[in-house]
Amino acid sequence: MRLLASLALQNLGRRKARSLLLIMAVAVASGVVFTGATLMRSIDSSMAVGFTRLGADMMVVPEGALTNITAALLTVEPTDLVLDQDLFARAGIASVSRAAPQKIARVEHSGIGSHHDSVDLIGFDAALDFTVRPWLVEKINRDMRPGDVILGAARAAPLGSELLIFGKAHTVYGRLGKTGVGTHERGVFMTFDTLEALAGSIHGHGHGHGGGPPAVLQKGKVSGFLVELAPGATPLQARFAILSTLKGVKVVTGDSTMSGIRQGLAALLNGILALMVLMFASTALMVSVLFSAIVTERRGELGLLKAIGARRGQIVGMMVIEAVIATGAGGVLGVALGVLVMRLYERSLVYYLENIGVPFVWLDGPRIVIVAVAAVVMASIIGALGSLYPAWRASRRDPYDLVRGEG
Amino acid sequence: MLTCRGLRKDYVTERGEVAAVAGIDLEIAAGRYAAIIGRSGSGKSSLMAMIGGLSRPSQGQVTVDGTDIWSLSENALAAFRNKRIGYVFQFASLLPTLRLVDNVALPAMLGGGARSSTTYARAAALLGQMGLGDYLDAYPSEVSAGEQRRAVIARALINEPALILADEPTSDLDEQTEIEIMDELLAVNRERGTTLVLVTHNLALAEQAEQIVHIAHGTLVP
Repeated sequence: MRLLASLALQNLGRRKARSLLLIMAVAVASGVVFTGATLMRSIDSSMAVGFTRLGADMMVVPEGALTNITAALLTVEPTDLVLDQDLFARAGIASVSRAAPQKIARVEHSGIGSHHDSVDLIGFDAALDFTVRPWLVEKINRDMRPGDVILGAARAAPLGSELLIFGKAHTVYGRLGKTGVGTHERGVFMTFDTLEALAGSIHGHGHGHGGGPPAVLQKGKVSGFLVELAPGATPLQARFAILSTLKGVKVVTGDSTMSGIRQGLAALLNGILALMVLMFASTALMVSVLFSAIVTERRGELGLLKAIGARRGQIVGMMVIEAVIATGAGGVLGVALGVLVMRLYERSLVYYLENIGVPFVWLDGPRIVIVAVAAVVMASIIGALGSLYPAWRASRRDPYDLVRGEG
Repeated sequence: MLTCRGLRKDYVTERGEVAAVAGIDLEIAAGRYAAIIGRSGSGKSSLMAMIGGLSRPSQGQVTVDGTDIWSLSENALAAFRNKRIGYVFQFASLLPTLRLVDNVALPAMLGGGARSSTTYARAAALLGQMGLGDYLDAYPSEVSAGEQRRAVIARALINEPALILADEPTSDLDEQTEIEIMDELLAVNRERGTTLVLVTHNLALAEQAEQIVHIAHGTLVP
């Protein structure tokens, strides 16, 4: 292996200009892929925050429930009517990408605010939520636990402080930003488990429930769903699909412009991904063509190596190692170039976006390292794949044919 | 003992199949110096390539010291070439990126098994025997054609083969260098008892051989 690697390195050093061009070509491709993948993931994360802040595409609530249509669909409205929590999971509607269930109970005498203040206690499913936590502006530096609550922007309490709700101690986990949506700003948010644990305490305190806890606090029941459309689906299609599949529901549609922009950007990102895949494929072809030429040029030497006892595996190994060294080096150089490009990007466009209040969420450090390593590994794999066939073909020839310049 | 039975090599050309070697039976005793002579295109290099395990015969059998070499698997044949046969080609067959000592050590390194330090000591000793002791670290382009050919002979000897095949090894050298190279090869044959098969169209060189194999149109000339 050491001998083959040494031979491969020496071969690369023989044609410095050609090796350098190959390394540069791979560097450009892997640099584009590394930068593209990192920016795409970052844009994706930024979109996830930015667009979810614009709310859901539509809301599904029990038929007959009163709804207050706001510019952004961030929470469902309090209602006595309920739906099954697994309604969407059971239905599997193709035009729906995500359906986040919420429970909302408007209560009095909860211990929050003055005695007669009504408070919206809003439960969300931590696994499906996309309209509550994107609005977190500050939070305790840990994952959310049972007993934690998040306060809407209109409610003030120090992070980590104790908040008594119906006499039960809760911890203020985080605070949401201003949304302009009343229910959202005044709400006290918690996970389903935390809200359901209050059911016994709310008994007799619930607004308009004649002494019983609100039906929505029962396990498996929710006030409604905030729905995000699948890529390519139109609000009209989704509305039709939902109404024809689910019984006893009402669909409230949000701002369709935002749905269009969200879907358009998602499609654009997928298009960029496809271009990156094509770029890598064309680089693999280029490496293959180049190594076919290198093998042709070195037939005599390969024949000689076979004549003096090199096995087929050694011939293939030497050529593949040569390609992997060149393309791996190209990959590393590409990542370095990509980092430079991203620094420029950070100082220009990202700086501008953040100045005008548009959040840009960079991938975190470890993930950037993973993308960088993946780009280098992919570049090396391209080298290995591109050189494998020409090397394999040459290794099959009789040494005499190779020495004579045939094959 | 080297034995060929019914050895045949056909090439497919645009004009149809052409027999480069058309059924040759041959025996060369171990330790002997044999010269294969014939005009250009007579089939002598094709015959030698089949004897040396470099080109698969269309038909027939080659046996070296009892081993039917073309019945071996590809890796076993590679190992056989590596351990039992040394080649001296009609061109400067050194790898240009390796020093002379690396080139000489290469077959032993490819074969594996031997320690690198032992192999390099042996390569240096062989180059010393060929009068190239001062050029261990030189690259092929830094020495003369005759010195390159001596280095090739040293490389052929690194694994102590039973058989050395030399295909017109002096065809591109001047007369004096040709004599020196042939002296080296004959010394190997005499002193080490290594079988030497030389392909040449130089009758003067062939006359020194203990056995002359004359080929014309792919067949033996009696």
